[in-house]
Amino acid sequence: MFENLFDPESIAIVGASQNPSKIGFAIIKNLVESGYNKQIYPVNNNAEEILGIHCFRSLSEIGEKIDLCVVALPASSSIETVRECVNLKIPYIVLIPGGFSETGESGRGMEEEISKIIHETGTRIIGPNTVGVYFPYSRVNTALTPPDRISFPVPGEIAFISQSGALGLLTMDSISEYGVGISAFMNLGNRIDVNEIEMLDYFKSDLKTRSIAMYIESVENGGEFYNMIREVNRIKPVVVLKSGRTNASAKAASLHTGAMATDDRIFDGMLKQAGVTRAYNEVELLDYSRILAHSSPFKGKNIAVITTAGGVGVITTDYISASENGIGLNMAVLSENSRELIKKSIISFGSSENPIDLTADGSVSAYDSVLSILEEDMNVDAIIAYALPQTPKMNMGITDVISKHMERGKPIVVGVIGSKLGRELLIEFEKRKIPAYPSIERTVRSLKVLYEYGKYMEGREA
Amino acid sequence: MKVMEETIEELRKNPATEHALKNILRRIGLTVPEGIECKNLPDNIDLRYPVVLKVSDEKILHKTDIGGVKTGIRNREELQSEFKKMKDKFPESSFLIEEMIEGGIEIIVGLIKDKSFGLSIMVGMGGINTEIYGDVTFRLIPIEPRDAEEMIDEVSIGKFTGSGFRGKYVDRDNLVNFLMKISEIGSLSDDFLEQLDLNPVKINGKDIYVLDAKLIKT
Repeated sequence: MFENLFDPESIAIVGASQNPSKIGFAIIKNLVESGYNKQIYPVNNNAEEILGIHCFRSLSEIGEKIDLCVVALPASSSIETVRECVNLKIPYIVLIPGGFSETGESGRGMEEEISKIIHETGTRIIGPNTVGVYFPYSRVNTALTPPDRISFPVPGEIAFISQSGALGLLTMDSISEYGVGISAFMNLGNRIDVNEIEMLDYFKSDLKTRSIAMYIESVENGGEFYNMIREVNRIKPVVVLKSGRTNASAKAASLHTGAMATDDRIFDGMLKQAGVTRAYNEVELLDYSRILAHSSPFKGKNIAVITTAGGVGVITTDYISASENGIGLNMAVLSENSRELIKKSIISFGSSENPIDLTADGSVSAYDSVLSILEEDMNVDAIIAYALPQTPKMNMGITDVISKHMERGKPIVVGVIGSKLGRELLIEFEKRKIPAYPSIERTVRSLKVLYEYGKYMEGREA
Repeated sequence: MKVMEETIEELRKNPATEHALKNILRRIGLTVPEGIECKNLPDNIDLRYPVVLKVSDEKILHKTDIGGVKTGIRNREELQSEFKKMKDKFPESSFLIEEMIEGGIEIIVGLIKDKSFGLSIMVGMGGINTEIYGDVTFRLIPIEPRDAEEMIDEVSIGKFTGSGFRGKYVDRDNLVNFLMKISEIGSLSDDFLEQLDLNPVKINGKDIYVLDAKLIKT
């Protein structure tokens, strides 16, 4: 199921346009710019070619097998195209237009008509009212946004399903800053056919995906959704950003998607029961999905911290041990042996107690030694290592050192502060699939998520 | 669990007054205060004082708000006088006289239906803690014992388990079993149950008493 959607041999775009301000142009431009190098068939009854690609008058004129049809027509005229897709046995349609059930009764009527047309046929629909899909591995990008506005992430390990198309696009743009990748992006729109439940099931066994990020405003068939997310989460961790937590925001969500709100306390309990991580904003959503994709969950509450900046170590200690404005875990008490060994590897005025402070003398090789010592220490369950660019002896070599230690199994989360070398460091860590975050708080909270997932999974193995 | 199924069947068919509901809870192994239901005060009641007098009428859902509950009645004379007052106020209703349970901590337990997710179970600290501090948590039906454990720890009730807190103590295993039974009620009554409120439930060590029970059908 869905192979032809995620890796299509050919894509037709109905409503293709030569006019750069039209959606039908942006989609083709995105496809070309992402490097999709299989068949593209623009359909437009006036134009000869768009961006140098030959245009067809109609879908049937193409005369070749079509795996995916992107429909960029107004709602009312898209119905006929859906019928044509069914006749031509096209397996997948991405139905871009809005103007359906989200606008009222007549829109709902059109959705019902489309549902009837595809019922018991081999044609499946994503949408309507979607910004499109983006699959970096197969370079399929049907996003309706002008390509000069948004950057799209590189291939990665996170499947991203968003009920808000625009938030999805913007979030993809944001994470691209540090080279964070995704395995797929889908905006399912009004979900008249393909829904989240089916997609969770798909990503559960998708080899490219290691965690799933979802933005949700409402859920239909809650019971079915719960059973699926609970099962999938035990195999691939899922992070959910659910909006509509208060009465005021629930009303906004309802206006946005036209759905009745569930009491947030029930939704929250459901997520806890399924062991699913909850995010409260788009930054957390991708932060948490990233650590769950890159790292193995751990048991135990004892955290060691390595820093070259005393203040950073102290603030991190606060965040680790406080339960308010913090995560309520423990600062590891290092074994006597570890402390002795650390003393020998760092400068005399540094701290061999946790948080371990290498001071301005901190070098990449000192990090290497200290990490080796902490790996052997049974009192340490996970490590936060700061890669801070302010000291002369710090350099990009830190990424290789941490990468080496990460492979040895004890979870390491990296914190980086700063923008000049800092940004480069973050990009290099991400390339090596090491979870690294540009602030103390984001580093510590992401670590907590990994701990919570490990705690939930204990005795509940898939 | 044949008793459970039969009992739920009865609940489905009959109106659920507080007394009927409590008898049902008792039959499935939960503890409720000893009590009798009557229209007029019998000459002899086989109950230990102090007792509580409550109006028992399916149509009245918030009996405390309208003066339908009198607690701490210490003897026959007081009971007679309170009964008369209550009878004047609610001439058409029945009344429940129950032994009063003192000490312990109050919690609330319930089942509530959501359009999308169906029935969920709720547990929280009773009294103002529920309303002011939102000290409650939910899970979907059915729960596993581990879910019950996690619920207890998520709200303040967890602080009373183990060695207790300021002389008050909650037996964790008994409370887990209690929550499992409520979850089972939910599983079997999903088709007709809209809401079940056990509020308050009083816990004193190993003893768990359902002091008040309300049920709303769909």
